[in-house]
Amino acid sequence: MNQLRITGGSVYDPANAVDGDVRDICIEGGRVVASLPDSAPRLDARGMVVMPGGVDMHCHVASSSVNVARRLLPEEHSRHPATAPLLDSATEVPRSGADGTVPTTFTTGYRYAGLGYTTVFDAAVAPIMARTAHSQLDDTPIVDGGFFALLGNDEYLLRLVDSSDRERAREYAAWVLASVGAYAIKIVNPAGVELWKRGTKDRTDLDTALGSRRVTPRAILETLVDAANSLQLPHAAHIHCNNLGLPGNSVTTLATMAALDGRRAHFTHLQFHSYGTTPEGRWRSAAREIMAYLNTHQHVSGDVGQVMFGPATTITADAPVEYLLHKSSGRKWANVDIELETGCGVVPHEYRDRNAVAALQWAIGLELFLLSSDPWRLVLSTDHPNGGSFKSYPELIRLLMDRAYRDEQIGRVEKKLLAGSALTDGLGREYSLSEIAIITRAGPARLLGLRHKGHLAVGADADVTIYVPDDNRATMFATPRYVVKGGVLTVEEGHLRRAPAGHRLYVRPSYDQSVTHDIERYFDQFGTVRFANYPIAGVRGSPLPVGAR
Amino acid sequence: MTQPSVTGNVTCLGCGCACDDIEVVVAGDRIVDARNACQRGRQWFGDGQVPSAIRVDGADAGLEQAVSSAATRLCEAARPLVYLAPGLSCEAQREAVAVADLLRARLDSITSDTALTGMLASQEHGSASATLGELRNRADVILFWGIDLEARYPRFASRYAPGPVGVYVPDGRRSRTVIAMDIGQATATVDSDVRVAIEPADELATLTTLEACVRSRDASNNFASLAERLRNTARELATALLAGRYTALVYDAEPDDRSARTSARFEALASLAQALNDRTRCAAFALRAGGNRSGADSVLVAQTGYPCATDFARGYPRYVPHAGTALDALRDRNVDAVLVVGEPTGIPGNLAASLSNVRTVVIGPHASTAAWGAHGIVIDTGVDGIHASGTALRTDEVPLPLRATLSGQRSTAETIRAVTSNVRRTLQNAHASSPVALGL
Repeated sequence: MNQLRITGGSVYDPANAVDGDVRDICIEGGRVVASLPDSAPRLDARGMVVMPGGVDMHCHVASSSVNVARRLLPEEHSRHPATAPLLDSATEVPRSGADGTVPTTFTTGYRYAGLGYTTVFDAAVAPIMARTAHSQLDDTPIVDGGFFALLGNDEYLLRLVDSSDRERAREYAAWVLASVGAYAIKIVNPAGVELWKRGTKDRTDLDTALGSRRVTPRAILETLVDAANSLQLPHAAHIHCNNLGLPGNSVTTLATMAALDGRRAHFTHLQFHSYGTTPEGRWRSAAREIMAYLNTHQHVSGDVGQVMFGPATTITADAPVEYLLHKSSGRKWANVDIELETGCGVVPHEYRDRNAVAALQWAIGLELFLLSSDPWRLVLSTDHPNGGSFKSYPELIRLLMDRAYRDEQIGRVEKKLLAGSALTDGLGREYSLSEIAIITRAGPARLLGLRHKGHLAVGADADVTIYVPDDNRATMFATPRYVVKGGVLTVEEGHLRRAPAGHRLYVRPSYDQSVTHDIERYFDQFGTVRFANYPIAGVRGSPLPVGAR
Repeated sequence: MTQPSVTGNVTCLGCGCACDDIEVVVAGDRIVDARNACQRGRQWFGDGQVPSAIRVDGADAGLEQAVSSAATRLCEAARPLVYLAPGLSCEAQREAVAVADLLRARLDSITSDTALTGMLASQEHGSASATLGELRNRADVILFWGIDLEARYPRFASRYAPGPVGVYVPDGRRSRTVIAMDIGQATATVDSDVRVAIEPADELATLTTLEACVRSRDASNNFASLAERLRNTARELATALLAGRYTALVYDAEPDDRSARTSARFEALASLAQALNDRTRCAAFALRAGGNRSGADSVLVAQTGYPCATDFARGYPRYVPHAGTALDALRDRNVDAVLVVGEPTGIPGNLAASLSNVRTVVIGPHASTAAWGAHGIVIDTGVDGIHASGTALRTDEVPLPLRATLSGQRSTAETIRAVTSNVRRTLQNAHASSPVALGL
């Protein structure tokens, strides 16, 4: 469909200060346009809520590590078969698959679109495995997608940190992103994953030395955060702090934020990094301290990584965490050390509302949301499938928008560790529809630097989701009536009808070609893949622009 | 005669090592040399000559006719099977899964025949593994467990371990302790510091005892019923493995000897590797043979959730590894048409034998040479990695580019895609006349 006028809906487009105003959205050639002739096809959205398509800036859906998880879960897949949708198109092959916490590729695309999400980023891809991420994204229809490249434990990068050669580190990062078709720099437990490979299972603090005293999480973070900013990448360095999931880790998180003070940086799944300890050594919420920092520091952003009760699968490059989780829960464990770059660990998990730690995690996530003074800088995620599935976003939205419902849920959970949580102090805030539009689309799009997404001004990508208002916000957000992706009506009357391929979102920063000589030498010396075979030729589509250098 | 041309950095699929440093020399339309390749690799490249026949029921046919007949037969079948033989790029494998899904077919690959027990063990218990670069750059103690590296993975020792210098093993071979475990006839063909021989009958007991020694720290009072010699072997091995900063276990996921493919053995090896992580670091490497087998597993897992032995009959993939493999279904005559994609020569003998009793469509390199396929539809295609570019996964699932060094052959992926389009059209026409109106 080339043209479409969405008429009469209440439009929530916070990037353009549109807050529920009734107006038409005109679409032509995959973009929002100013007007259309009267003869253009119309979609009657009277009485409905119109928002830009959802943007998930942090999930795990397309990587070799996600596949490690998929392979580990045949029993879960067999409980959650996914039949193929009844597509109208004669050229698209409708695909079946498996659902559950880690759905198969095609099912992932269908499910995201079915929730009104039209853009997703896999947050952790080992550059050497990037071809696999691309091919899985190729098989994840409808949504536009990209991924972040793991660099925080990369041997070559660590060598440059050791020699304090920040300029070359920046050029190396640019080379990696450009070579593998990634969108942003990702840092996971800097130095900590490499320490795990060297046999250390201890905590990693900001100044823990990795061999040389010059190589510390602090130095790695500074180097890569500065690289992202100096390269003017559309998205800041995306940081998963040290000591994820450990009691008392808020000290590390705050120290990391302080170490990077004044620099643009994104802190991901903050919930997993907001744990304090009581004087008696018990877990407690440190959400207040974390939000006190975030609320007052404009350069810093975050996503929550909310925990939702029910089954989850933990998939992370932070492999030592998975070893500890396996040891404490007894659930099965898969580990893959990825050569000289990063790690990968997978453990299935279940968050139970009667489990004190899980209840605390759940509460901390909600506290972060409710204490946030700037929804543009703290956005929604469950770190799918780590804190819960992306399919639980509607339920999470209900918790944020509906205080009575939330209070009811708080009443059910184990409160042993909730003393001091802001949630039990009667935190009464309710998110508005406009704020939801910010934390689920406009905010992540802005943090990602996606100028054409997350809003509906003229020139924006025609990614539009149309909901039927419902007092039960979970119902409303779980079943959009219409979803338009790139101008194509994909969901109609609540049914998926078309599943066009999505676009790839990546950058190709320029770099000083002379740095490649030494990288090639390093490959010759230690690599198992030829230097010439590392870059990926023919990544789909064109790269997004990077700021002028 | 034209000047020979050389293409560098070509990936070889002769075994799971997927060496990507091959220099392929082409003169005219033939490969005349594959520099750096081992014997197995040279065999895999050959001279690049493949047949290009298209036949329907033994008679020459055009591509369009063969593709259309193939689609018709597959759509008519009550219980079709799509079988992924070795030798396909990931791109071709993805196409093959799509047509299986559309047809509501059974879907299987060589994995269910050669590597299923190890696969099931890792699905049940997980695994502690790594990519081969960690073995190369980090492993200071390596236990080669009955694996015939020289015959099955000829360049493994010089490319990954124990030979090469690595970041944390600066003196290469001299930085490592290499233990070779011979199990009966299964000799670990590797230059070793320590060589231990046990009988196949003692293998499981040795592994179990070894793991117990690793877990219990002091196993001196345990396993009293075991022969002293076996206990000592296990104790010494445990000490040696625990001495490593980064210990590696290397074994064959598909040993030629079928009796060595028991679940218990693979479970014990995987479990030992996990246990070693309580006291040091350890990764297990279960090596797969050639033809992008890991790619098939990975593609199937991504698209269906399962690595092999899948059945779409109910409109979604079901995992049927215990009674629903290709071999099971063919044996039970619960298949009435088979689409074989890939190199038919790579199909295990027992499976090939049962294919002669069923209608077949064969799409792949040398399709026309399979005697069991001659009575059906055959479409010869080029070899992925020789005639077609694409992607393949090394045994450890590291993806590598495949480079085409010769041209002029049909691509397997495109041929399968053409069948898929035909199937989609046929099925749509069949359903178009029966709309469902529930009148709700």
